[in-house]
Amino acid sequence: MEAHPVCPICGTPIVPGAPQGMCPECLLRAGFETKSGHKSTDGKSASVPMAAEEVATFFPQLEIMELAGQGGMGAVYKVREREPNRIAALKFLFPEKQASPQFAERFEREARMLAALTHPHIVTVYDFGKVNKRCYLLMEYVDGLTLRQLFRARKLSPRETLEIVPRLCEALQYAHEQGVVHRDIKPENILLDKNGRVKVADFGIAKMLNLPGNLTLTGSMDVVGTPLYMAPEQIENPQVVDCRADIYSLGVVFYEMLTGELPLGKFLPPSQKIEIDPRLDEVVIHALEKEPDRRYQQAGQMKTDVETILQTMRQREESRARTGPAPAARTARPAALVAEAQAAAARVALPPKPARRRSQASRSFGITIAIAAGVIVVFTVLLLAAFHLLRSK
Amino acid sequence: MFATTQWSVVLTAGRGDIPQAQDALEKLCRTYWYPLYAYVRRRGYSPADAEDLTQEFFAWLLERKWLGKADPQRGRFRSFLLTSISNFLANEWDKARTQKRGGGKVISLERDEAENRLTWQPLSYCIPESSFTPEQSFEWRWALTLLDQVMGRLSVEFEQEGKKELFDALKPCLLGESSTQPYATLATKLGMTEGAIKVTVHRLRQRYRQLLREEIAGTVAAPEEVEEELRYLFAVLTRR
Repeated sequence: MEAHPVCPICGTPIVPGAPQGMCPECLLRAGFETKSGHKSTDGKSASVPMAAEEVATFFPQLEIMELAGQGGMGAVYKVREREPNRIAALKFLFPEKQASPQFAERFEREARMLAALTHPHIVTVYDFGKVNKRCYLLMEYVDGLTLRQLFRARKLSPRETLEIVPRLCEALQYAHEQGVVHRDIKPENILLDKNGRVKVADFGIAKMLNLPGNLTLTGSMDVVGTPLYMAPEQIENPQVVDCRADIYSLGVVFYEMLTGELPLGKFLPPSQKIEIDPRLDEVVIHALEKEPDRRYQQAGQMKTDVETILQTMRQREESRARTGPAPAARTARPAALVAEAQAAAARVALPPKPARRRSQASRSFGITIAIAAGVIVVFTVLLLAAFHLLRSK
Repeated sequence: MFATTQWSVVLTAGRGDIPQAQDALEKLCRTYWYPLYAYVRRRGYSPADAEDLTQEFFAWLLERKWLGKADPQRGRFRSFLLTSISNFLANEWDKARTQKRGGGKVISLERDEAENRLTWQPLSYCIPESSFTPEQSFEWRWALTLLDQVMGRLSVEFEQEGKKELFDALKPCLLGESSTQPYATLATKLGMTEGAIKVTVHRLRQRYRQLLREEIAGTVAAPEEVEEELRYLFAVLTRR
């Protein structure tokens, strides 16, 4: 199966003949910005973020530290709240995304539901509202990496994948029990903080913005999502999806974590691509069933299955550790790890064929993090250390 | 900034035999043949017919008889081409065929490559083109071609300064820092300081934006239309 390169910004597949192998849409968007990089050329095209100083004029209670990211729907700023004193992420939607008369009502309703979600693996919404005709969400700031960025640094081991997936299942199960469907599960919305904690971002944002519904509108400029991770029924009839659509998307992410590829077309089971417990094939394929009725009906069921396999894996490792030399754990020698992560980063920095590069770092509206230059290597190491800790438990 | 544009040269020259106008038109045709070819194919013509037809169309275009007709305000080259090819298919194609102009190849069409690009649809629901009308397909390919021109020019400029490797490493930064490696990593890799990387990226972006507007300016009738055309092309690319 051929791997399709996807845009690191918006996640859509890159077409052959794309200019220098880059996403044409994002490339053209970059053409709008002026020298400061924050303003549109004429003020009419609002799909460019405001400068931090400008945003500050609307939020006296916040210190706007920097523009942390932007996407099709709005921009994310790293901010400091004065009371309570904490770092947060401010999502500021572009005004043209809020033109529909139903938007305000939908935003209010959904934001209220999101703010009610309290779970260790879900990014918390602190506050929401509207200033200067723009809706905003104030959210937990996650200091770490997106799964997409982690993919780029290096391939995850099956073991690492199995540590992450049950936490995602937990987050989904909790949200589904509260009646919230995420609708846009993808690597850009899965965050890992520097302690290795997994957080799902942007619950329900897709519904709030009515994104999937707009996918079919010709000429609409509201599309930011990618159908790559969407369940078939979500593509066909986005208005009626339930929690099983999230389970499908999680299946796609799971497959990608294991194999580094997307399960497109007639895809091979993961065990035929990498050396893993063949029982994992069943889990992944069960999550990826095209018919929602044949899929896992609850994320919790998927979690149980994954954890059973993880348990076996742990036991094997323990018995191997007892009988033979310790496995060449990546966390055994921090210095070697740093070297490994740096090498991985360097390999991506100058790929032999940049135009065909597949997995790259991403910045999207859904990301509530800001990463200082260079910390990618450090965080990767910290993350691995966290896994090591988990393993030793 | 853009005193004259290629397209405005063609328009103002009218039917007068001005070499610059002919050169400008030929250059525009060489650059934007592919969207036209894609359009004709989408209209249902076979690859061979589409190639033939596109060549005939260019021959007709380069004769510039159309310029004699009233309307001096021809608008943008993009919309002019689309209207013209549509009329050409309806009225001129049969005539051209029976006359057998025998003009042969007017410009070089890489048909195999064009076909490869047209038939690539592994994810029909992800790639919008499959659901496009021929006109939308033309516009979508047009925007892609234009960006390709801009990036090509940018690449050549770096290459001429012996900085091809630098360009390849930094071009993802056009989309923003986090779309690529952190600047610090890039700096180590390229043997530069982080500050130097930032400055280079800043200049790269500025130059890109300048070239983008120049390229668009070449296809509109007046410089004032550049920003509007830029917005239009963005809408074309985000169309689903």
